[in-house]
Amino acid sequence: MLDWMILGDVLRTSLRLMVPIAFAALGGVICERSGVYNVGIEGMMLSGAFGAALGTFLTGSPVAGVMVGILLGAFGGAILAVLSIRLNVNQIVAGIAINLVALGLTAFLARLIFGLDATTKTLAGFTAWAIPGLSAIPFVGPIFFNQDPLVYVLYLLVPFLHWLLYRSAFGLEIRATGENPGAADSAGVPVYRVRFLCTVISGGLAGLGGAYIVVSQVFVFTEHMSAGKGFIALAAIILGRWDPVSTLLASWFFGFCDALQMNLQFANPSVPYQIFTALPYVASILALVGLYGRVKPPAATGLPYRRESKT
Amino acid sequence: MNISRRSLIALSTSAAGFAILGPAVAADPLKVAIVMPGNITDKSWTQSGYEGIMQAKEKLGIEVAYSEKVVQADQAEAMADYARNGYKLVIGHGGEFQDAAKRVAAKYPDTIFIVNNGQIGEGNIASADFNFRQFGYLMGYTAGKMSKTGKAGWIGGQKIKFSLDLNAAYEEGFKAAGGKEVFTAYTNDWDDIAKGKEAALNQISQGADVIFPTMDNAVIGSLQACKEKGVWGFGLYYDAIADWPDTVLQSAIFDIKGAMLDYIKLAQEGKLEGKNYNFDLSTPEAARIGTFHKAVPEDVKKEVLALAEKMKTGELKP
Repeated sequence: MLDWMILGDVLRTSLRLMVPIAFAALGGVICERSGVYNVGIEGMMLSGAFGAALGTFLTGSPVAGVMVGILLGAFGGAILAVLSIRLNVNQIVAGIAINLVALGLTAFLARLIFGLDATTKTLAGFTAWAIPGLSAIPFVGPIFFNQDPLVYVLYLLVPFLHWLLYRSAFGLEIRATGENPGAADSAGVPVYRVRFLCTVISGGLAGLGGAYIVVSQVFVFTEHMSAGKGFIALAAIILGRWDPVSTLLASWFFGFCDALQMNLQFANPSVPYQIFTALPYVASILALVGLYGRVKPPAATGLPYRRESKT
Repeated sequence: MNISRRSLIALSTSAAGFAILGPAVAADPLKVAIVMPGNITDKSWTQSGYEGIMQAKEKLGIEVAYSEKVVQADQAEAMADYARNGYKLVIGHGGEFQDAAKRVAAKYPDTIFIVNNGQIGEGNIASADFNFRQFGYLMGYTAGKMSKTGKAGWIGGQKIKFSLDLNAAYEEGFKAAGGKEVFTAYTNDWDDIAKGKEAALNQISQGADVIFPTMDNAVIGSLQACKEKGVWGFGLYYDAIADWPDTVLQSAIFDIKGAMLDYIKLAQEGKLEGKNYNFDLSTPEAARIGTFHKAVPEDVKKEVLALAEKMKTGELKP
């Protein structure tokens, strides 16, 4: 039933479904490592998708679209940062509020700007661009190295984030802030600034994930087009145990299950499709309760830091 | 003026009669509300509900209200709220509103609850749906005649009656026209465009060259895949060839707008009953096929139209 051609299809599909989740989840890793839960990823992703459509619509260039998308996502991140870091609003509540506001606001603005028949106006977007040499590798090449530019950005982002977190001074500050902000503060780490920056970066990356859906995948904006991918990203962070490389693999696993679900239905209709829809969540829960490996979320994540108070 | 006693009585009686009838004639317009699951710009199911009620407002002079993006948990409350505020007809836009209608109907006997795409009919609950099988068959037959590979794709949101009927009849029609195999996929999401696109791309790479997507918003993604890969697709709910001139072969137009106009008019006349109103090819204001793509040969068109005629007379029941 699963021959090589179908496997190629599944891998290609899984890659495309994985990219927006992966961008958002990687941003979430940075954010949670610094001690802030970003439940607003879904909203930031949607803002990014809207920004990408807006930028592309106004300028005709998908590159400008991506820029506007990242900017709007980062703006969402900045709002979360102000609310949860400066004003000490509960991080989960602030995140949910951002999701709701983004959903309503993008729908309203889209109707205002694109009009009621927006969904049939195709926007400019990226096309696949084969990397010379690498794309010639049999089987693997056409799947991984004949993609649109944002996929390559993702390939480069993962090692960069790994380096940033574990090998750079700033990464040490991020991790220290997420584990023990009091100790980090007394060692001279600007806790507030680190958290603020990480939350904004997370928003920007979620926005980039949303922008990918618009400029690389479907070339239109529709209301609530993030369709819950931000929440899947939250699960991928847990499954990836707050590590960039594992989170990428976790996101891929989610995409892979989705792709498999769609392909297996007609290759093998006797398998209920719901199984594959549920599988990644089951895996996330298992990861959370620590059935495989030790799971240790950053100790101070979710807790607001107040310099004056003793915690 | 010479008014006899008898004519005075007649005159005053008729005046009294007018006094009683008066308020009824000049009464407040019928208040109709619709509760919808998605957003009113989805180019699909929810949008047609919104346009339907707006059209009825314009043509029948009724008073309308609407709620969009009402999730399952809020359905009953939203419907009851309108009934409480004096709306005499409350429309639940989608089969998933059936349970909510059943829960609230008994409490508000003066209001009729009607469920679009529902099957129930009892007391003050009515429903309106379409003969999906007729259209699934006609699209399938067209697909069978146009497919070169003998393989077609069908994509649905979830396994509900609407999907199962369309899918089964599409396959029947496709095979009756000489097609071999229909790939069926459920995306488990009515609005996720990216998934709609991937599902179609998958079917295309397996050899399908005619695709019938039947979700809501996600249809856009599937048709986009068809357009990119140069295969045929079908439209749903409206004559989609206007938006996809190179891609759409034909459309199954379940015009809930026409159906709504029909039954709201009945309600206005006080004739709406608690039963299921099933619209099919014999009620073209509510259910019809759209424009053929110019690539469809004349004889195929004739065959399809002849099949439609046979369905109207009841000779062919897919």
